[in-house]
Amino acid sequence: MEVDDPGAGLAAVVALRRLADRIEDSQVEEAMRAGWSWSDVAEVLGVTRQAVHKKHAKRLIAAGVALRRR
Amino acid sequence: MTTKVNDVRAVLVRGAKAEAIADGSPAIEAEHVLLALTELTGTTTARLLAEAGLTRETFRAALDSEWEQSLSVAGVTVTVAELPKATPDRSRNPQIGETTKLLLKRATATSAGGRIGAAHLLIGALNTNLGRIPRALDLAGINREALQAQAVEAAARGDH
Repeated sequence: MEVDDPGAGLAAVVALRRLADRIEDSQVEEAMRAGWSWSDVAEVLGVTRQAVHKKHAKRLIAAGVALRRR
Repeated sequence: MTTKVNDVRAVLVRGAKAEAIADGSPAIEAEHVLLALTELTGTTTARLLAEAGLTRETFRAALDSEWEQSLSVAGVTVTVAELPKATPDRSRNPQIGETTKLLLKRATATSAGGRIGAAHLLIGALNTNLGRIPRALDLAGINREALQAQAVEAAARGDH
């Protein structure tokens, strides 16, 4: 990646973070709708089960997703 | 039409927060405030925005274009409209983000110690060359300086 304009390069950082967040939200939701466990999702994301649960459980419960306990 | 101070609070607390939640954003950013301003139906501020070509829909589209363009700098080709969507977390309470704090600082400086009106918030949103708003507006071909000048005039008249 060659960027002459630091403004464009820094904007790319923000854009990539937004993209990662959007894909994480949608794909964790997709996995849980498909019956994945929190532990499996956490393992793929490389974070703890507690971290992924804390970040997504409330939203998914509100969205009516049937969640597995483990 | 004059925007009362309560309306401005409503812009921030209700409108911008709702935009942040819909956006899946962890914080209320400056672009969410500008989106909320476009929704102040019947106000001078929303009229100025609409006359410049900025409605909620056109600004959202401009933000998506900015997102796509910024990703392309990193070599990532994405059509935002085709990205998988997540169910927004309606229970979440996003806090005021850093870009909104800067917007409010600029709006306060413009209000010269008086009450902050919607036109002041608009000036605060436009009076910077950095961040997503100027990039999105440039991509959409909006004359930011002209719009800002109109907002300054409106604010000076107390017409928000």
